[in-house]
Amino acid sequence: MLLELRDIEKTFKDNQVLKGIDLTVEQGEVVAIIGPSGSGKTTLLRNINFLETANSGSMTFRDQNIDMARPSKEQILWTRRHMAMVFQNYNLFKNKTALENISEGLVFGQNMAKKEADSLAEIALDQVGLLDKKDFYPSQLSGGQQQRIGIARATVLNPDIILFDEPTSALDPELVGTVLRDMKQLAEQGQTMIVVTHQMSFARDVADRVMFFADGEILEQGDADEIFDHPKNDRTKQFLSAIAEDY
Amino acid sequence: MFDTRFAINSFPKILSVAPETIILSIIATIIGLILAIFIVIVRERKIRVLEPIAAVYVSFIRGTPIIVQLYVVYYGLPQLLVALRNMGLNTTTNGLPVMLIAILAYSFNASANISESIRSAYHSVNYQQYEAAVTVGMKPTRAMTRIVIPQLITNLIPNFSNLFLDLIKDTAIVYNIGIVEIMAKANILSSLGFKYVETYLDALIIYIIICWIFAKLFQLLEVFSRKRVSHTQEFI
Repeated sequence: MLLELRDIEKTFKDNQVLKGIDLTVEQGEVVAIIGPSGSGKTTLLRNINFLETANSGSMTFRDQNIDMARPSKEQILWTRRHMAMVFQNYNLFKNKTALENISEGLVFGQNMAKKEADSLAEIALDQVGLLDKKDFYPSQLSGGQQQRIGIARATVLNPDIILFDEPTSALDPELVGTVLRDMKQLAEQGQTMIVVTHQMSFARDVADRVMFFADGEILEQGDADEIFDHPKNDRTKQFLSAIAEDY
Repeated sequence: MFDTRFAINSFPKILSVAPETIILSIIATIIGLILAIFIVIVRERKIRVLEPIAAVYVSFIRGTPIIVQLYVVYYGLPQLLVALRNMGLNTTTNGLPVMLIAILAYSFNASANISESIRSAYHSVNYQQYEAAVTVGMKPTRAMTRIVIPQLITNLIPNFSNLFLDLIKDTAIVYNIGIVEIMAKANILSSLGFKYVETYLDALIIYIIICWIFAKLFQLLEVFSRKRVSHTQEFI
């Protein structure tokens, strides 16, 4: 088991967003988290790499136990250096070129020599088919291109887990496919991933396990067929039928 | 009648003291910038005790005319030094150079204004840029210096340019404490020749030239830095 979360609770002011989440992720597993907006899916991801700090709960990651409510600076840095994240709005560094966006983490997160980092970054950029854009700044790239660079920025770090926070939600429908293709390829290479997504087709085709998340709780989980074809929970059924036309 | 000859003859005389204006403005801006950085750190990191002091300091300076601040330093500083000497400190109390007093007053003034500009430039950098930087494994300070601050600087330049030009123009009142800069020289020449429009027109032209040059410099700096944080339209 690569990652285990136990009883994660998170409250924003009076609003309890996570109500005791338990989650385990095996090496090489692709976990898709689906559910209505505002249900806490993104918050859960953000808690895993400490962009938010949970009110209570604990985590075991690569056999290290971490108190989610009181992580030390070292634990936070260590966790982040073994994970990577892909954001909904790409969040490429605006002041860096495509290539620099990818090499930045290697050089300034992993202390790799610049030359080595650049050559790895070029390989990663080539894998997403954007090597010709290496000197472009994010503002000169389309959303789809930016997100694929966002994925390259994550994969180049060789992380144990990549967290995807609705990676295709901000994209033109036309560009969604290219990003999903990159993600599917990653999954096939055995990359462990936790993917918060509204792309039901992706969850169905790629995910090893699908979790249905609503109101800060995991209401149902199982493999894709179970969730999509034989949902047990009423809330799951309701959600799936409401979005049925989308997939 | 407008005395063209007088205007032309006065021009180089007024221009010759332009360095006073420029030096005062530049030094005060540099010191002000350094102070401003401290103020911003104190306020943004909400450092205990210091934070409210910094906030009061900033609102005090922003809420009072520069000429009042100048007089407070001009008359207050010698008294402060006397008081310090009475307490046993070895301070000189006479012959405090007026330029030093002006630099101090304008530095304080600049620090408050610049700190507010830095804060606004800082908050206009999307916080997610910082988050993206730490998720690739950068330490928080690295994330700031590599990603946030370069973008902050780009955002800051237009405002900073404005503040600097304002400061140049604001130095026109230091003749009140006896510094001979552009405005003072114009006043002196006017009263010697009993001709006013001519010398003030000269001063006006000199101020315009100085401000234009610095505005251009800042503009170039901005273009250079925007290139790196390009905000051009997405072309798709």
